[in-house]
Order: sequence, then structure tokens, then C-alpha cells
Amino acid sequence: MPLSRTTTGRFANRIFRQSLTAQRYQSTGIPSSEVIDTDVVIVGGGPAGLALASTLGSSESIRNNLKVTLVDGGDLSKIKTWNAPPTSFSNRVVSLTNKSKAFLTDIGAWDHVDEARTNAVEHMQVWDGVSDARIEFDAQDLQLTRVNNGMATLTEILNLQRALLRHLDNLPNIQLLHRTKVTSITADSEDKGSWPLIHLDNNSTLRARLLVGADGFNSPVRTFAQIPSFGWGYNTQAIVATLVHPPRGAFEGPNTTAYQRFLPTGPIAFLPLSPTMSSLVWSTKPALAAALQAADPNVLAIMINAAFRLPHLSMKYLHQRILESHAAGISILPDTLRQELQFREQSHAVGPTSAYSSLQIIGGQQGIPPADSEMVPPLVTQIQAGTVASFPLKYNHAETYLGEGVGARTVLVGDAAHTIHPLAGQGLNLGLGDVESLANCITATIATGGDIGSYTSLLRYSQSRYLANHTVMSAVDKLHKLYSTDSDAIVWARSVGVEVLNELDSVKAAMMMSAGADFGNVAPPSWSASGWNIAASGVEILAKATKTAEAVGNTLTSTIGANLSTFIRSTRP
Amino acid sequence: MVSTILRQTFLQQSRSPSIRQISYSCRRLNGALKSGPSHNSVNPDEIAHFSKLSSEWWDEQGEFSFLHKMNPVRMQFIRDRIFEVAQEENPGLSSKPHQALQGLDILDVGCGGGLLSESLARMGANTLGIDASQSNIAIASSHASADPALKPASGRSNLRYRNAPAETLLLEPKRYDVVCSMEVLEHVENPADFLSTCAELLKPGGHLFLSTIARTPTAYFLTILVAEDILGKVSKGTHTYAKYIKPSELLDYFRDYHSPPNNQLKTSPPVSSRPWITSPSSTTYLNRSEADIRGLIYKPLAARWSLAPRDAWWALECNYMLWVRKPKEPYAAAR
Ligand SMILES: Cc1cc2nc3c(=O)[nH]c(=O)nc-3n(C[C@H](O)[C@H](O)[C@H](O)COP(=O)(O)OP(=O)(O)OC[C@H]3O[C@@H](n4cnc5c(N)ncnc54)[C@H](O)[C@@H]3O)c2cc1C
Repeated sequence: MPLSRTTTGRFANRIFRQSLTAQRYQSTGIPSSEVIDTDVVIVGGGPAGLALASTLGSSESIRNNLKVTLVDGGDLSKIKTWNAPPTSFSNRVVSLTNKSKAFLTDIGAWDHVDEARTNAVEHMQVWDGVSDARIEFDAQDLQLTRVNNGMATLTEILNLQRALLRHLDNLPNIQLLHRTKVTSITADSEDKGSWPLIHLDNNSTLRARLLVGADGFNSPVRTFAQIPSFGWGYNTQAIVATLVHPPRGAFEGPNTTAYQRFLPTGPIAFLPLSPTMSSLVWSTKPALAAALQAADPNVLAIMINAAFRLPHLSMKYLHQRILESHAAGISILPDTLRQELQFREQSHAVGPTSAYSSLQIIGGQQGIPPADSEMVPPLVTQIQAGTVASFPLKYNHAETYLGEGVGARTVLVGDAAHTIHPLAGQGLNLGLGDVESLANCITATIATGGDIGSYTSLLRYSQSRYLANHTVMSAVDKLHKLYSTDSDAIVWARSVGVEVLNELDSVKAAMMMSAGADFGNVAPPSWSASGWNIAASGVEILAKATKTAEAVGNTLTSTIGANLSTFIRSTRP
Repeated sequence: MVSTILRQTFLQQSRSPSIRQISYSCRRLNGALKSGPSHNSVNPDEIAHFSKLSSEWWDEQGEFSFLHKMNPVRMQFIRDRIFEVAQEENPGLSSKPHQALQGLDILDVGCGGGLLSESLARMGANTLGIDASQSNIAIASSHASADPALKPASGRSNLRYRNAPAETLLLEPKRYDVVCSMEVLEHVENPADFLSTCAELLKPGGHLFLSTIARTPTAYFLTILVAEDILGKVSKGTHTYAKYIKPSELLDYFRDYHSPPNNQLKTSPPVSSRPWITSPSSTTYLNRSEADIRGLIYKPLAARWSLAPRDAWWALECNYMLWVRKPKEPYAAAR
């Protein structure tokens, strides 16, 4: 348990205080290797770590004053030379808010992004998988500062990482040590404000004025600094894949709409990348994810199409089928699944020409699109080979971003500090917010001759980020909880909530944030965080509404019967 | 002279963390003065005591956290005043504010654990931190030696420390571009002597920076009643209300202050040199090329200090900083 470890850590700090004497160079456990003094050591060459290195390198005052080294265990040269044909996309895609994109532009990194491989999201369709209550967003609704930016930009993480690495090529002051693992980190003395020694597997040791943990969810830096983190697994696995589909018809407009349906098993999202390719993030129960990943890719494609279209009850049934055959070791055949689907659609009166049919594709006919075709994503015909993968989803927030005692001179950024459910597409955006804030904090410290590793100077960073991140994180967490149930009362409140609150509401605020809407000059800078506050309180109102709904539901059930309450639900569009 | 040095010795010590010693030491000191010539050494028990508390200098979450938080604001004030003057005198100058201190000779009087000295050195100033407390100097030196950019052995270090009272430096020929003395004045027994010492350690045209606490009910309330008695954030006895100096008193001092000839301490300045501050005390107006006085405001929600705007006299109620410039020509042409 990390929590108990901290207690001892804190306690130990107190003991260290007693023995405060000038014995700085009695370095505990330094191997006989060379010790290299460095101002900033960034552990982690993920997008957050690379963005930080780029930001530090593009600031003149930092460049002139600080020696910066980034360490990553992986092979960054592979990322730098990554070169995919325009017809294929990597499966790790992120949605970047306009704010994140503006930041990357400011530091000069966006210039190196292959923009042809990115896509602006112009519309969003979000709906409740059980009640089908729906909210739509349009880039035009938002007072965007930059035209043609859309609500958000989708990009492969690799495209972004490669851009950052190319940018770093022009910043020779930043040293990159890749294929180098951090094996351990120790403090160079028992003083408060000791300097961390970062021991590398190439036998050298870096002594850092400031150590930045950008080393992802399992952050070894966080462990070293004895920073406890608090969180839980969602018992959910996110399946990612690159989807191939026909282009949208002339009447439908370009492939710039992102779709997300909240199924009780978790949300499924369709993120458009190009006219004929999109990215999938399907959060679902681990057993289902395993079964879907093991199935024939065509089966997965059919299931994806169905997951955006089929009424919840039938979807539940299909899930069951997939699980059973996986458990029995029999792989379900695409044709069997199609027959099943046909039967289901017929029973729901979904005709073969309806936008809600997953089977129109079988005919392969692309004529005039069916009515409401923009309500659902294009039908997936194929899954790009080798792109199906999955990640466990969790909520995790470090108790603090600043180490103390043994962890002095240590800060966390990105997933090392916080991990959230991807339903709002915020993870990396929060990480980039951290990076921007930390770089500002370092610049400000240098401008007054401060020690960039000192607790006082770093306080500015944690003050500007902790609460802001926490607000977004808890709003996203509450949204997840609210939508991962099919309990009647909650669904009823939810469907009412989604509609009643449509104009001003919390869910909309949250989803707009998720869309990365940029409120530009119109709103004060704190707006983005306060938007999430509105979201969080809106979700709370909704949670209270469920109590009312439960009461109403009970009354209805007892007097008129369950059918009516179902009817009330079904009459809501 | 000896007595001044001695006084300074004590006074500089007294701003070290163990200020609760003040009243006790005061009695001791008075006794010592009466009993004839004295020596400049410190009682070993006191060293031990200082040492223990001095190590807290760099505990950023401890008693001195407020000093750590104040430091950037002080640096900002120092940097900006010097930069502004440099720009005015040399409009073509292309340097940026953060380069303003580069290459200047700066003396930090009563450097304590070296909070300000380290920052000055990082900004490129050739910095000498002096403190009459041996243990403070030990702490400051040890702290700097852990920092590769500051440790003397590194060769590129421009930070030095000396265990000496300011007066002894007057005996040496070296004069400084900038003299800083932070939170010393309120612990000093004879502020007038102390100020003239600082003033005369400056080169003509040099900058003097002082920070201290005003003798106002607000200051009493915040620094003694709240910080010491209620919150217990600062050791009891750290501050003595009677020693607080009002901004107006400090300004008046420099309105009357004339640099003595040849930079040598003389009792009565020649009438011909101009006072450091020429604007009359009847106005709150200060000539921007002569002096500036600013309050430091604590923003509790942000847990941060900031500099009050110019002319925010209300902000001078508590902690404040003074910048005053030594006239370039100490002697006005004979009238
Ligand atoms: C399915 C899914 C969808 C997502 N969608 C979005 C989205 O739409 N928008 C969004 O903003 N975010 C999204 N996220 C979140 C986003 O992907 C993460 O927040 C982001 O990738 C984290 O980046 P990072 O640099 O902080 O950490 P990581 O990418 O985890 O990088 C950590 C790095 O540290 C290195 N490292 C670790 N240990 C060591 C060691 N001991 N020595 C040396 N190196 C080490 C690793 O090699 C790695 O390179 C999504 C996440 C998931 C799972």
C-alpha cells in the first residue's frame, strides 16, 4: 500500500530533521560511477516529458541557465524516424484541446507535426446508451478564437512525439538519453532539500537540481519520492483500434464528427482521423474486452457497428454471446453474428436501410444516405491489421506533485501525477497543462535568481495545477460512474438530466471541455476549470435527481406498473 | 569604533534565528560595554544554540518559510530598480531585466543563511555575503557548497561569504555597486550608524536596498501578535516593536543624509554634498531616480508575497522595501 509507505516516509523525514548537519557529501549508496551534475533531469520520454524538454529548450532564459537531460528507457530514434503511409494510422490517438494545441504552437513544436495526419473535430454527438437521450455540439456553437480549428484536434501520439523529437533536434542544449533506464534514485544527503541522484543502467549517475517524473502511471520517480497516490481501477479495459470505413456521402459532410455512446459497460468513442479512417476507444468490462480482442477482426467490426446502433438490451445479449463462445473456446463466426444481428434488428423494427442498421454494409451499397445517418458514425468495414490493443483504465491522483524529505527537488507531471478515464479525452491535455505551468514556474524562478529545485519555487507549480486537475478528474470520474449503470432510476434521471440541462447544463459543460472547446478571450482564464466545476456540481444535481426519480419510479411501479415507467423512458427521444 | 563593531556583531547575530536571545544578550552587552574594552568573540554556548536554529534557515517549510517566500519579491524589486536605472542612463542598452545584476559587485549585509546572497549570485552578481554570526556563515557556506553552480571549488562561483560585521569592511578599500540588507534594520540597536555604514560601503551612484518592518499597529498585529503569539510561526522574541522603523523615518534619514568626503566616515557631512533624497518630506512624492519605497503584501490564498504598486502607501504598514541611490557626485559644485 502506497499510503502506509508514506506514513513511514513522512515519519522518517521528521527523524532526518534531527540529524541536520552539514554532511551533504556523505552520499548514501552512490556507486563508484561518475556523478554528473545536471539542473533538470526529466525521466520519461512520453508526450509529457518530451513536451517539457521542448518547452525548456525553447525558452532562451532557461537554455542559457540550465542543463537539461531527458532519460527514457525506450528507443526514441524509432519514434523520430517513424514514417507511416497516409493510409494507415497508429492506434494511440489523443484529442488535443485548442489550448494544448496553442501551447504546442507557441513552443514551436506544432510546426513539426504532420498536419495531414491530424483532424479537427467539428461536431460531437454524445448519447446515453440506455435512454438514447442525446446532446450535440457544434464547433460553431463555441466561440472559438481561431477559425477552422474545430473543437479539438485528433492526432496520433506518435505524430506528436515525433514532432517534439524533431523540435528537440534544433535544441542541442537539451540532452536526450534514450535506451537508458533509471535503475534507482537515492538522495545525496539526509538534509531536507537534498539532491536526488539518478542512477542509470549505463552505469552513470545524474545529480539533479530538479528531478521531474514524467514517467507515466507506474512512475518510479513517484515511488522514489515517496509520494503516495490515491486511486482505483475502473475494472474496465479500453480497446483501441484503427477503423476503416467508406467516406461519408456528399450529403453528410466530411468525417469530422466524433461520436460517443455511453453504454452501461462503458463508453464507446469514434474519433475521426481522415475521410476513411477513424480511431476507436471502447471502454468495456475486462472479460468482454478479452473476448472481443480474441475474436475475428470482422466480428469486432460488427460489434463496433452494433455498439453505436443497437438498443441496449440487444447489445447486452450480443455481449453475452461473445463472452460465452470465448469461454467455450469457440470463435464466433462473422456470419453467425450477422444472422443474430439481423434477427435483433428485425425485432426492433430497424429496417436494412435505416441508419441504425449495422447490416446495410453487407450489401455494400452506398446510395443516398438514410435519414439520421449523421446521428451515428459511418459503418466500419475493416480494422487496420495489428491495431487492436487494450489498456486497463484507472483513476489515480498523486497526493502532492512536490516531493519532500527524501523526495526533495522532485515534481511530477502528466500521467505520473494523474491518470483518468479517457471518456473526456483529457489525460494528456492535463499533462500538457502541467508542462506549461512547470515551465512558467521555472522561468519565473530564474528571473529572480531562485533555486528551481526549491520547494518554495515549485509551490507555484503545484498551486496552479493541483486543484485544476482535481476538478477535471473528479468531474470525469463522476460522469463515468453516472453512466456506467443501467439501473432504471438513474437512467431515467439521466435522460431527463441530459435533456433538461441541455442548454446550460453540466454534462454539456463537461463534454465541451472534453471536446477541448476553447473559450478564448471571451472567458477568463480560470473558465476551463470552472467549467468543470459546473460539470461536477451538475452531476451532483443529477445524482440528487436520481433519488427523486427513484421515488417517482417506485410510485409509478406500484400504482401503474413497470410498463409505464419503461414507456416514459422510451418516449424520450 | 570598537563599540560600533561590537554593536554590529551583536546586532547581526540577533537577526539570526535565536532572536529570542535579544533581551538576554542586550543585558549582557550593556554589561560588557560598561566593563571596558571588549572582544569580538561569541560565547560557545551561543554558537551551539545558533547553530541548531540556523540550520533551520533552509527548512523551507519551517520558521523561515515566509522569508523563502519573500525572497523572489525582494529579488524582483532589486532587479527592476537596477535595470530601470541602467536603462535610463544607457537607453541603448539591449540587456533584459534578468541580466541586470550581471557583473555587479554586491554586498549582502546580514546574509543569514544566504537566501538572498544565493539568488544574487545566480543572477550573475559578484556577491559577498557577510554576517556577524559565525554559524550563519557556516550554514550559508555549507548550503552553497551543495550547489554546483555556487560552490567555491567550481571556479565559476561568484559567491563568497565572510564572517564579519559591516564596519570592518569600511576599513578596506573595496566599495560596492549594490549593498543589500534584508530584515536587519529592525534588529539593530543604532539604526543611524548602521545606515551610514551601509551607505558608505557603496560606490558613488551605487544602490542601497533595505527591507524592514514598519512601526505601525498593523505591523505589531501581524508580526508580533499573530506570527509570534498566536500562530507561533516565528520564535517568540524575534521582533521588538520599538525597533521597527516607519517608512517616513527612513526616508527622512536619507533626506538629511549627505555622503561624507572621500567615502570616509566622518561625523559631520560637508554641507556642499546633496542629500540622497531631495524631495521634501512634506510630499509623498519620491524622485524615481533617487528612491523608491514599496510595501510587500502577503496574499494568503496564493500563499505568496507580492510587491505593492508604487504609491500604495497603505501597503507600507508592515513589511516594506526601500531603494535609495547614492548620488553619483558626492559633492555638488561649490555654490
Ligand atoms: C485509451 C486511451 C485513450 C486516451 N485518449 C486521450 C485523449 O483523447 N486525450 C488526451 O489528452 N489523453 C488521452 N489519453 C491519455 C494519454 O494517452 C496519456 O495521458 C498520455 O499518453 C500520458 O503521457 P505521459 O508522457 O505522461 O506518460 P507516458 O506516455 O506513460 O510516458 C512515460 C514514459 O516514461 C518512460 N519510463 C517509465 N519508467 C522509466 C524508467 N524507469 N526509466 C526510463 N524511462 C522510463 C516510458 O518509457 C515512457 O516513455 C488516453 C489514454 C488511453 C489509455
